[in-house]
Formats: sequence, structure tokens, C-alpha cells
Amino acid sequence: MTDLLDSLLGGLALGAVYALVALGFVVIFKASGVLNFAHGSLLLFGGYLVAVLHDDLGFAGALALAVVVTAALAGALDRFLLQRGGHDAHSAHVQTIVTIGIDIVLLTELARRIGGDLLTLGDPWGDAVTELGPVTVADSRLAAIAVSAVVITGVFALFRFTSWGLSLRAAAEDMEAAALMGVRLGRVRAGAWCLAGALAALAAVFLAAFPAPGLERTTGQIALNAFPAAILGGLASPTGALAGSLVIGLTEALVVGYQSELHVLGEGFGDVAPYAVMLLVLLVRPNGLFGAKGAARV
Amino acid sequence: MTTRHTRRPRVRAAGAVLAGTLALLLAATGCSSKASGDGKGDSADGVRTGPGVDDDTIRLGALTDLTGPYATLGKSIVQAQQMWADEVNSKGGICDRKVEIVVKDHGYDVQKAVTAYADIAPDVVALPQVIGSPVVAALLDDIERDKLLTFPQAWAASLLGKDAVQVLGTTYDVDMIAAVDFLTRTKGLKKGDTIGHVYFEGDYGANALEGSTWAAERAGMKVAGQKIQATDTDLSAQVSALRKQGVKAVLISAGPAQTASLVGVAASRGLKVPVVSSAPGFAPQLMETPAAPALAAMLNVVSAAPAVSSDLPGVKTMVTSYKKKYPDSPVDSGVLSGYNAAELIGEDLAKACEAGGLTREDVVKAHRSQSNADTGLGTPQNFSDVNRPASTETYVLKPDAKAVGGVVNAEDAHTAPGVEEYLSAR
Repeated sequence: MTDLLDSLLGGLALGAVYALVALGFVVIFKASGVLNFAHGSLLLFGGYLVAVLHDDLGFAGALALAVVVTAALAGALDRFLLQRGGHDAHSAHVQTIVTIGIDIVLLTELARRIGGDLLTLGDPWGDAVTELGPVTVADSRLAAIAVSAVVITGVFALFRFTSWGLSLRAAAEDMEAAALMGVRLGRVRAGAWCLAGALAALAAVFLAAFPAPGLERTTGQIALNAFPAAILGGLASPTGALAGSLVIGLTEALVVGYQSELHVLGEGFGDVAPYAVMLLVLLVRPNGLFGAKGAARV
Repeated sequence: MTTRHTRRPRVRAAGAVLAGTLALLLAATGCSSKASGDGKGDSADGVRTGPGVDDDTIRLGALTDLTGPYATLGKSIVQAQQMWADEVNSKGGICDRKVEIVVKDHGYDVQKAVTAYADIAPDVVALPQVIGSPVVAALLDDIERDKLLTFPQAWAASLLGKDAVQVLGTTYDVDMIAAVDFLTRTKGLKKGDTIGHVYFEGDYGANALEGSTWAAERAGMKVAGQKIQATDTDLSAQVSALRKQGVKAVLISAGPAQTASLVGVAASRGLKVPVVSSAPGFAPQLMETPAAPALAAMLNVVSAAPAVSSDLPGVKTMVTSYKKKYPDSPVDSGVLSGYNAAELIGEDLAKACEAGGLTREDVVKAHRSQSNADTGLGTPQNFSDVNRPASTETYVLKPDAKAVGGVVNAEDAHTAPGVEEYLSAR
């Protein structure tokens, strides 16, 4: 029982961090139709900034600055690089491929700077843990759950109650109609990219915090685990991203936690499990858990 | 008007294609003029020479990682070997020739490494450094064909049995047999206990697991394996699983980041069991992470090389000169293993020279004739049997934040019981 609780809590925390990343994927996709393959390196960029700045600015200051700068970088990439391609669905494919290029450039530079180092982010939780009845959880993980919950609620409120959110939803529904109604697509898009960048920088902190030893050059790759989360939730649905992230986080934690019982599936199944779950869900619901129904062919 | 507009770009495109083809042709011919060092013959002093050696220079090659995941290790080895070359040259060189090391960075990319090998192989006589198990695996056939004596910075038993390839020290399986022996001897593990083993997928982890499984079986214990990938840096779920299986100790054959996470999480979850790591699973930088106190309390490292903070006179001298030459670089195990590899190549070259030849074949032959090569930087090595690890003796190290290189010797080198039995059964 303790083990189950342990795995569940671990999975929940992991899911909360994945949700920050998956939400970024979804916001960008909703606003621009682009699948952002550079998301992992944006995340690494944010984490790297916190790592190099926390000595001078303190953790909170470094995090704030990193969030702002990463948001600005993501926004600028979209505004000055991707948006030159136009706003229609066709150019979104081209822009998706451009993000692969951006990823390579950004990652190469960051990897060169980080090298083989293991950077600590100076977060306030350290290796402290809290006993919750029979289970022990790292404080950083509790913080991850709390912060993710607050931030995700905030993002949902942003979608629901602000004019930017309305524009975003309108643009996602029908870009042309939205433009005709006076929605400034360029700004809405860049805003979405900024938001995704900010979320990525925040996620980096939790991905590098205690149970992990620090920020590595490969930390950005963990963002790829949030990819099946975004897809199985339905790529254009923020609620789906949240649900998908929790499913993926729990799956990973449970599969590894019960690896010995699942040994018929072979060792190391935990790494494949997110994708296996994604495929299973897509077999039953091709548009994801909360995805919009695709156009029905008559 | 329109015709002119459409025709021009076409002419330009044709021009570009022509220019591109010419450039390719030039590049191709440029390449072929390169294999100049291939001629064999006797030099002025009567020593047989071959590729990589002329009347006044001996060229060695290094295929290293200066921009990839093992950049820190690569830099340490490159600097240590350069220091060795400078020292040798200031004493007159080897065989009256200066030693030169040609360094190529592959960034842990196999494709780049293959290109880099093709680039330097015609001009060098031996490779005292090749980083990366996948890189070595991809180059094995070429190395054997070219008879290019190679010291890989990888220790999987699958690299044994090749005449030109020399794994220095012990292989991963032997290390893990020693680790299991250390646990039963000093940490009270006994028959019926379960040992967890967290390992990387691939040659490294597989070979380590082979050793631990064999040793555990011999001692009447069981191994609970947890396979992970290099991108797994949060081992919380693995720790939960190991605790559920009631392990009394954990072995880890992964990278430093994984070791830090495993030990940190285990300590925080109350799984206070001894942890023993393979040598590549530790780096001095770990002692600056939040996991440092837990590492100092729970971790031991099994290694064929002594700690760089060890009292061995050879190691002390080397560390002092290294610190003097590169005051800003950390002194880690890569410095020691790199310098040691260079010293051993130096002995091989000197021996080959004495026997009258510095061709690649001569160097490999000289190398294989050494059955007790002792550089004073650790244990003596026996290179005469290609199918056996060069040494079976291992040290047990212990993390210590204050020591140079972050570790101190906990146990001196010795051959663990069972190793001979294991090697003869294999």
C-alpha cells in the first residue's frame, strides 16, 4: 500500500511538471498550428539562465528573470522568424520544420556552454523531504505540484476571462474569420509563444530540482516525455494536456515502481510506457482524450 | 521581358551546379593526395618505420569528445596526454623522435568519429585515446584492419580478444564482482539477500550486470535489475521499486547524474543501504550537488585506478605537475587514466624501437609482449593475453568533498575472490 501511494504521489508530481511543458506545446499549437520542436531547448535555456544567475540574483530573482527572458526569446523567435512565413495551415507545417532548426542551433550552443557539467539551480528546497503518513515526498516535488496547480489555473483563467484568451480561442477556431473580426493574429500568436516560453523556464526548475541532481545538457530531452502527454490529451486542448500529463506521469511512475511484476514486458519498459499509452489512447480516440473532432469526410 | 526573367535564374542555377561539381572534384582530389605517410621503409637511423612515424616525429591520435556529454572527461584526458608528450619531448623524445598527439573531437557522435578516424588514421601510429563505447564499437573492424594499437576509454568485456585493441585495467564485470565481494565482506550482506542493480542500457550496463549476477549467484544472493537510460536523471521511481523488493544494497552502473539522484533519493526516502558504483558513475562535480552528504555517507566506487588523491608517489608527482600546468582544470579520474594510457603507449613505443621497428605491427607486437607493465600509477598490467582483462585488481574508493578529485582510497588494490573462476568460466 505504501509503495502504491509512493508511486502515485511520485507520478502526480511528475505529471504536474509535464503539464507545464505539455501546456506550452498546446498553447503554441492552438495559436499558430505549429508543433514546437524547440520546446526542449527553450526549457534548457530557461534552466541554464537560472543556473548562471542564481549566485548573483538569488533564486527568486534568477527565476523571475529567466522566465521573462525565455518568454521574450520564444516570443521573438515567433514574431521575427516564424511569422514571416504567414498564418495559414500550410505554412504552419513549414514553420514546424523551422522549429527543428531552431532547436538544433539553440541546443548546440547550450550544450557547448554546459558541457559535461551538472549545474545546481540554488532552489530553496534542497534535498528536504516531508513525511506524509507512511510516504516520504521531496519538498521540491510538493512545490512542483502546488506551483503547477496555481500556474495552470492561472493559464486557464487567462484563456477564459481575458480578451487575449478570447482572441486565441477565436483564432484557433477559424483563423480567417478571427482576422476579419479584427483579431491581430500576429500579436495573439507571439503572446502564446511568450506564455509557452515562460512555462518551459518554470518547468526546467522542477525538472532539475532535487530528485534529479541538477541541470544537465540533456535536461531538455525530458520535455519529450511531455510530448505524448500533449498528443494523447488532444493537441489543441489545454484540459487534455493536463489530463494527458497526469496519465503519463502516473504511468511512468507505476510502470517503473512495479517493474518486477511487469518483467514479462522486458526491463526498461518505463521509458517506452508513455508512448505505448499514447498509442493505445489514439487507437480508441484518434483525436486524443479531449481533442476536437476532425473534419468528417462525406 | 518575361523570358529574360525566367532564363537568367536558370543560367545561374546551371552555373551553381557546375561550380558545386568542380568544388566536389577538387575536394575529392585533395583528399586522395593525403595518404602520403603510407610508405614503409627504413629511416636514417635504421629503424623500420611506417605510417605516423618519420625521421623526427612519432604521431599519435586521439578521438575524443570535447563538445559532447563527456566533454569534461575528454578535456582532462587530452590535457593529461599533452602534458605527458611535453614531458617526454623535453627529455629527448622516444627513439630520438618527438612525440606529437593529433586530437580530433567527435562530440560523442559515431558518424563524426568514423570520419575523424578516416582523417587521422593514415598519419598516426597508435591511438592512446578513443572515447565512447559506441564509437569504439563502430571503429573496431577498421582498427583491427589497420593494426592501429588503440586504448579505448571504455571497459566492456566485448572489447577483449582484439589484437590491436587494449582495454586498460579491469572490465566492468570484474569491477562488479569486486563490488559484490566488498558488500559481503564489509557491509554484512549474506546468503538470501537481494541486491539492486541500476544500469544503463548498452554494452556498459549489460557487461556490469553480467558480473554482478554471476557474483551474487555465487554468494547465494539475488540481483534485482533496473535498466535506465542516459536521459533518466530522476530515479525516484527506481528507488521505490528497489525498496519494495527489499534490497540490502544497490549497485549502479550509469553516469554521475544518475548516481547522485539514486543516492540522494534513497537517503531521503529512508532507504539507507550501501551503494557501490562502477567507475564512470562518479565525477568530482557531484560533491557540489545537494546529494553530497548522502554520497559521502552511502557511496563507494569500484575502480581499476586509484583515487587521484592517493599516496602513490607516481600519482602524487603527476597530480602536482598537472595542477601546475593547468591550474584552472579540475583533477579527475580522466587525468589519471589519460596520463597512464599515454605512459603505457610510451613504453610500447620504446620497446618497439629497441626491437628495431616502429611500424604499427611492431608497436602492437611490443605491446603484447608486456606482461608486467607498471607505470607507478596504479596496478601493473599484463597485456600478453588478448582474451583477458589487463588487470584483475580493483580499488575501492570513497567520496570525500575535501580530497582532490572528490574521492579517497578506501581499500587498496586486490583481486576479488571469484574473479579467476569467473574469467576461466567465460
